[in-house]
Amino acid sequence: MTTRLYWMQSGGCGGDTMAFLGAAQPDVPTLLRTLGIELLWHPSLSNLSPPQHAALLESLQEGETPLDVLVVEGAVVRGPGGTGMFDARGGRPRRDVVAALARRAHFVVALGTCASFGGFGVGGEIDATGLQFTRFDPGGLLGADFRSGAGLPVLNLAGCPCHHEVLGGVLAALLAGIEPRLDEFQRPLEWYGMTVHQGCTRNEYHEYRVEEEAFGDKGCLFFHMGCHGPLASGPCNKSLWNGRSSKTRAGVPCFGCTGPDFPPAYPFFYTRNIEGIPLALPKGVNRAHYMAYKVMAAAAAPQRLKNRDTEV
Amino acid sequence: MTKRILCDVPMNRVEGDLEVRIEVKDGRVADAWSAGTLYRGFENLMRGRGALDGLVMTPRICGICSTTHLTAAARALDAIAGLTPPDNALRVRNVALMAEHAQSDVRQSVLMFMADFANAAHGGEPLFDEAVRRYRPGAGSSAVETLSATRSLLEVVGILGGQWPHSSFMVPGGVAFAPSSSSVLQCLHLVRGYRAWYERFVLGCSLERWAAVDSRAALDAWLDEAPAQRDGEVGFLLRFGRAIGLDAVGRGHEAFLSYGSFDLPAQTAVAAPNGQLVAAGAAQGTMVAPFDPARIAEDVSHAWYRESASRHPAQGATDPYASAHTGRAYSWVKAPRYDGRAMETGPLAEAVIGGRPLFADIVAAGETSALARQLARLVRPATLFPAMETWLEELLANPGAPIVAGDGRQVPDGEGAGLLQAARGALGHWVRIEDGRIARYQVITPTAWNGSPRDAQGVRGAWEEAVVGTHVADPAHPIEAGYVVRSFDPCLVCAVH
Repeated sequence: MTTRLYWMQSGGCGGDTMAFLGAAQPDVPTLLRTLGIELLWHPSLSNLSPPQHAALLESLQEGETPLDVLVVEGAVVRGPGGTGMFDARGGRPRRDVVAALARRAHFVVALGTCASFGGFGVGGEIDATGLQFTRFDPGGLLGADFRSGAGLPVLNLAGCPCHHEVLGGVLAALLAGIEPRLDEFQRPLEWYGMTVHQGCTRNEYHEYRVEEEAFGDKGCLFFHMGCHGPLASGPCNKSLWNGRSSKTRAGVPCFGCTGPDFPPAYPFFYTRNIEGIPLALPKGVNRAHYMAYKVMAAAAAPQRLKNRDTEV
Repeated sequence: MTKRILCDVPMNRVEGDLEVRIEVKDGRVADAWSAGTLYRGFENLMRGRGALDGLVMTPRICGICSTTHLTAAARALDAIAGLTPPDNALRVRNVALMAEHAQSDVRQSVLMFMADFANAAHGGEPLFDEAVRRYRPGAGSSAVETLSATRSLLEVVGILGGQWPHSSFMVPGGVAFAPSSSSVLQCLHLVRGYRAWYERFVLGCSLERWAAVDSRAALDAWLDEAPAQRDGEVGFLLRFGRAIGLDAVGRGHEAFLSYGSFDLPAQTAVAAPNGQLVAAGAAQGTMVAPFDPARIAEDVSHAWYRESASRHPAQGATDPYASAHTGRAYSWVKAPRYDGRAMETGPLAEAVIGGRPLFADIVAAGETSALARQLARLVRPATLFPAMETWLEELLANPGAPIVAGDGRQVPDGEGAGLLQAARGALGHWVRIEDGRIARYQVITPTAWNGSPRDAQGVRGAWEEAVVGTHVADPAHPIEAGYVVRSFDPCLVCAVH
């Protein structure tokens, strides 16, 4: 049986598509073939003529062509002044097309943080929102009560961009009849039920509070460099990027791009702190206990770590 | 009476949102209007943010060239902080950027440009069946091979920068990470593997043989020389492109712009004039003049922004405004001009300004065309591989050398620009920091140059001009005009930032 998938790009950068094309296990053509997915339309990959595409869209919105999966990439644009015309398609605000398609779709997938939560442009000129959230607030374009044909809310595959293995994994699960377990922001736990910190090769530095204070050092990036790894949900250090590495492994702090509040208003590359202790502590820790533990841990740090006598 | 028809050019398979309207008269394009239909407000989002935030925010302007925006952002901060990245940092930056270029050029050619060769509109062409076998979206043999090979090359950015797209591993004064010898060796393996694939699959010959193709006559001789050369992607582009007349359309203003790119390390075996592998310059035809960034100004007379005189981007503003009273305006893309002139930028511009003989010969002969532009793109990676390999080898030979100069986290107040060549051409970030915060951030992307609307003098943007005169067989599906626009490799998400 063929699964029909329509891929809509709205107010975004196309980065989720580019990341997805980096999937290797399996690669995208193999994934689509083995899952029996017919890509009705993807803006970068299809070669339908404009009249053919217009006819397809019409047929999908009328329900004449069944829509099994709708993937939306990029934020829903509502500005200026509520018109949506900062993102127009053929003279019509694109968000109206997105909403019409979502009502016909069996599954609706928000790919990336912009489609999930609004991302860039929330509160800005374009008045961005996600499909079912605006940052932490349920609602978004479709409303908190929205359920797709399968009875599921929008599946928020967050990340800027979304990790390349997530979409394929979610599609495979859905088509196998497995209903994904979701967190409070409708992100599938299979990929977001872990922190970016878990699996980071700098964990031992964190453990003993051996800190990086300048670019290119070895050490934990959490205490000074603005790393969100112990707070951010995502598989980046479990399933490596491009099959090779992750930002934290390459000395780049995690910016928390899977979070509903990405990008945050405060500056990147600095850890907000009180008396040298980060304002935001690792997910779920007790502040007093954590501080006591870190004082002791720093005192217990082995010399080899303090000397950076290690290859990571 | 002559019939005039207004129609839309098929513009799917570009990054982002582009609508090109043409007027067809007597079977030819008489006029054209190019509209970017999405506004994203990035420049205004930047104001008031932390001084380094361009390194995280601006790669998200574009999913396809995020490393390029990162480089421009880092170079602007290098300039403001007065930091010169050490040699190993330049090597890491250059190699990552070149990997992004070398995959983009082939992906755009095969997956976006040549995908139209498999369009039913060409059903009568003798080569059509082969085109379908090669380029059918998602399944054609060339499409699948290209996706696989380019994906591998991007692993280089994954290794050096942690991920592709959207990493932030370039920082003021250098890079954030010194790759170990084994990581560099992995990069070398990936680059050599991609190069071998490119020689076999794209060129059908060695880089050295291709480098000897120095004129139009030499190109014809090369094409007839060996079956592998005829059957490679370059050979097929030439054969199919000539069969459907792409060598006779898309001439344009023939004004070319390059900001220059890839700063040479102080100590390196890579040789190039003026300290950059890709030369900067501004040319009319093959007459090349030095590039002067002070001559850039943005015109908003036909874009949906509040009226103002043309301004240099260091004084630029982004003030979106659209109403029924602004009847002249039709795009969210501003109109950058150089010395008041509409310019085209990209691989062909680089080849002309850099004096590459084949392309200088084509342009001098008045044969600038959509096919020439696309050919320049598809063969550009050939000019990158030797330097990539050299710089990776130099990284291996200099382990432990510095990767960052000074304290890149303390950027003082001031103004600076980061200019370089993206895969699609000239990219600039103009940045002003006040009180430790971003006070102004202006970006001019390659597609803003190539896909600009008219200016106050009524002069069309580069691809608007290039599409005029194109023969259109079926106004309901003006695929010929689509090739002309696509030969500029449009990236609208960039242009409408």
